Amino acid sequence: MADLSTLQGLRRSPLHDMATEIRDGGVTGERAVQLAELPFLTQVGVRVAPDSAGARGIDEALGAPLPRKVGVTSQAGGHTALWLGPDEWLVVSETPADELVEQLRAAAGDTPAQVLDLSANRTVIELTGPGARSVLEKGCPADLHPRVFTDGTAIVTSLARVPVIVWRTDADAFRVVPRASLAQYVAAWLLDAVREFAPVAAEGA
Amino acid sequence: MLQIECPWCGLRDETEYKYGGQAHVAYPEDPSALSDEEWAEYLFFRDNPKGPFAERWVHTGGCRKWFNAVRDTRTYEVLAVYTNSDPRPVISDLVADSAGATA
Amino acid sequence: MGNPFPGEHPEWLWRDPDPKSSYDAIVIGGGGHGLATAYYLAKNHGMTNIAILEKGWLAGGNMARNTTIIRSNYLWDESAAIYEHALKLWEELPEELDYDFLFSQRGVLNLAHSMQDVRDSVRRVEANRLNGVDAEFLTPEEVQKVCPIVNISEDVRYPVLGATFQPRAGIAKHDHVAWAFARACDAMGVDIIQNCEVTGFVKDGNRVTGVETTRGRILSDTVGMVAAGHSSVLAEKAGFRLPVQSHPLQALVSELYEPVHPTVVMSNYVHVYVSQAHKGELVMGAGVDQYNGYGQRGSFHVIEHQMAAALELFPIFGRAHLLRTWGGIVDVCPDASPIIGGTPVDGLYVNAGWGTGGFKATPAAGWAMAHTMATGEAHELNKPFGLERFTTGHLIDEHGAAGVAH
Repeated sequence: MADLSTLQGLRRSPLHDMATEIRDGGVTGERAVQLAELPFLTQVGVRVAPDSAGARGIDEALGAPLPRKVGVTSQAGGHTALWLGPDEWLVVSETPADELVEQLRAAAGDTPAQVLDLSANRTVIELTGPGARSVLEKGCPADLHPRVFTDGTAIVTSLARVPVIVWRTDADAFRVVPRASLAQYVAAWLLDAVREFAPVAAEGA
Repeated sequence: MLQIECPWCGLRDETEYKYGGQAHVAYPEDPSALSDEEWAEYLFFRDNPKGPFAERWVHTGGCRKWFNAVRDTRTYEVLAVYTNSDPRPVISDLVADSAGATA
Repeated sequence: MGNPFPGEHPEWLWRDPDPKSSYDAIVIGGGGHGLATAYYLAKNHGMTNIAILEKGWLAGGNMARNTTIIRSNYLWDESAAIYEHALKLWEELPEELDYDFLFSQRGVLNLAHSMQDVRDSVRRVEANRLNGVDAEFLTPEEVQKVCPIVNISEDVRYPVLGATFQPRAGIAKHDHVAWAFARACDAMGVDIIQNCEVTGFVKDGNRVTGVETTRGRILSDTVGMVAAGHSSVLAEKAGFRLPVQSHPLQALVSELYEPVHPTVVMSNYVHVYVSQAHKGELVMGAGVDQYNGYGQRGSFHVIEHQMAAALELFPIFGRAHLLRTWGGIVDVCPDASPIIGGTPVDGLYVNAGWGTGGFKATPAAGWAMAHTMATGEAHELNKPFGLERFTTGHLIDEHGAAGVAH
């Protein structure tokens, strides 16, 4: 088997070629927004009946139960579980994917379940700053207002007409999680969407 | 743009959904036993009412689950949404409720 | 009220008669197809004791809402025959009806945006030629010669790789077409009865003997349903189902501009079709809304998608202003081909299922429907388009040629 650490040194994230534009693409001022790709996060897909023994086993292994309701995330021990559907979750984790997959498969026991390393399926674009929500609201049909979209909320929805997960991790921090093949499109759309939030140049400047 | 209540995800824009046509059309138990007319009926003929219609939708841009809705094809008002394990709503009751609500 | 233009404009183009108690034939639906059916019943078959029953006003449904494109470049022999028959009739009708309804044979381009699109288009061009339909395949440069404002640069999401071109295709002024047919029908004695909705059918056993309407019972042994989006509603009253689904289809026009668009451009791939009306509006249509609907309105995102497609093809429209959008109800068949023929009820005939493409077929649909109603037998043109094809499996799949919305 090939040495995994060597392979990891060779891999390129979906937004590798846009790294400079993303780094320089943020705006400052009152409505500041910064963009960043958070590449290579462990993302493990879990599908299991929510009321099964396997689901309860996975709840225990994660240290916090898989959320049973739309929008909710649960966090424990470096794992965050995102609700994608009534029997589908995405676990974003600090644990290496192969290790986590093994743990969760064991935890599911005999219950029919699917635990898959989906880390390469999506990448994560982080938007931080007071203007972050306004940028997303330009292209996302979901209600992102804090009265319903509180810290820790994550939903599957669309941005700029393509499917993404939108995940609020902090008051002014959102993660947009597109499929790898759509990442460059989403990043380009975000870079364009951010531009109008730059401070207006002072007179005579 | 319609807004449709997904039984699992709540109210979302129509653009997150795909339409699945008439609901509750069962696959024939023994297709080979059907006459050509019956097979044509199953394959090509669907109700197309002007009024309340039980139909299928799938939340492709969300939880990816199929569900059923009763929607009025004149007003586009969604009168009910229900999953396959929920009891089927009685359409005449829904219409009465809707008329009461707007009266 | 007096006529402000005496000698120039008549007071009316057709009478407004009360319904008689019976007719030799009844046509339900006073749109283009209904008018054409009545016209050819009278002209080709000498049946003048007939009525058109219209639930609203004359030509107020899809006849008032379509994007007026006329062409005959369909793939299969059966379709080419009926649409080409229609095109030949269009070429004669302005003179025959003595009414210049602005039929303009400015050509129609169907753009190809992928290699598969190109292969399909070339195949269709060859099939058209074998059927005597004028057709050619154009390179992007030739496309630009026909329509200089089309963006043929390679630097777009869906570059133009070529197009089919039918020079004899074009547009006509839809409301004038209706008035021309209505005047001719009226002159031959046809009663055009508006505000007369059919609410039920009178039957003797399995034979139709008349209709119940909002203006009373009207008897006839020969009844034709020509109700487009409402065909299923009528069929249900008559006791059977049709294999059609009714969908909202939207169109829009811009404000009036100088002539910039000399032809008609359609693109299935990016989902838009565009022409410029004689008055100067850019006329655009797109796809149907996905759900069944009788609301004569659709969703805004469909319009948004359509505008995005139009802008990519025509950057020059970037500053154009939208004037109006509207919706019609189209009845779509599983094979994107129409139904013309008998029904499970004797004496009751149906012309339906034209989806988004009924306008172009108006005269031929009327021609074939009139023959079917007058003789009880399908005309050569509509034999392949009977309801029985869904049982025999002889579908006529025109999803490729039918256009954007099926």
